[in-house]
Amino acid sequence: MKMPACLDIERLYDEHAQPLFALLLNLTRNEADTRDLIQEVFIKIARDENLLKGVREERAFLIRLAHNAAIDLMRRRGTRERTKDNFAEIISPFATSVDPDEVTFRQQLAAALAELPPEQRAVAHLKLWAGLTFEEIATALEIPPNTAASRYRYALDKLRDRLRPIYEEIK
Amino acid sequence: MKPDEFEQKISRQPLRQVPPEWREEILSAARVAQTTPHESRVTQHAWLSPINSQLATLFWPHPKAWAGLAAVWICIGVLNFYTRDTSPRLAEKSLPPSPEVIVELKKQQRMFAELVGSHETVDADRPKVFSPRPRSGRTEILVG
Repeated sequence: MKMPACLDIERLYDEHAQPLFALLLNLTRNEADTRDLIQEVFIKIARDENLLKGVREERAFLIRLAHNAAIDLMRRRGTRERTKDNFAEIISPFATSVDPDEVTFRQQLAAALAELPPEQRAVAHLKLWAGLTFEEIATALEIPPNTAASRYRYALDKLRDRLRPIYEEIK
Repeated sequence: MKPDEFEQKISRQPLRQVPPEWREEILSAARVAQTTPHESRVTQHAWLSPINSQLATLFWPHPKAWAGLAAVWICIGVLNFYTRDTSPRLAEKSLPPSPEVIVELKKQQRMFAELVGSHETVDADRPKVFSPRPRSGRTEILVG
């Protein structure tokens, strides 16, 4: 009787693991934490078969679980470790490139994203790289759509200011 | 909202791919979780988990110190319980003063007032009757 559920977990992984990985890596900037959080999400789903019952938007629901798990982790770690992390090497959520201009731009974009508050970073990530609408982001992060829109605007303004020199240079 | 060039430029940046070896690791962990019963599911309540995590964050750094502090408070509570005053209070024992006592007190008040020399205090408890003098009387006083 467990077999179909197992297959369902595999389907869920194949369909949603990549966007969850990208979001969590952008939030945590740590591969080991990202892996643990993805595993935590899938274990949670596996343990409770009823968790996904009645869920209309699987992607949004999984993003909510992953985001909440990431926020919990960051709270547990506390301010001290986050400050320490600021001085550590920034782990980029972006793929590598052979073009040196693109490499520099991606490094600076990763650094600029890391400077954003987590709530703005999550919204910017979901809008820019997961392609969600503000309504979908609002559902996933349990915030009003207007809040999602304003966080995105603030995040984009900060990224624009931070990346203006390199953007003008390579444009 | 129409995305501008900058927005398009950053949204085109490709993201890293999830390492393929994670798939089997994560799915096997999920399968194990699926087959083994979750012990805490019965005992833990979802609404308690944030409180638990907050308490754990607060108490975890120095558990012995917090336990010691709790033990001290328990000792103080126990000592306070056993050494409390069990005799009935004076206020509970005393009865309302009898009318004789009240009369005696008033007598003493009057005597005291006479000794001091103030006559007003003797009749302090008696309401004053206001009797206005005629205006003409007042002018006589002023002129005289």
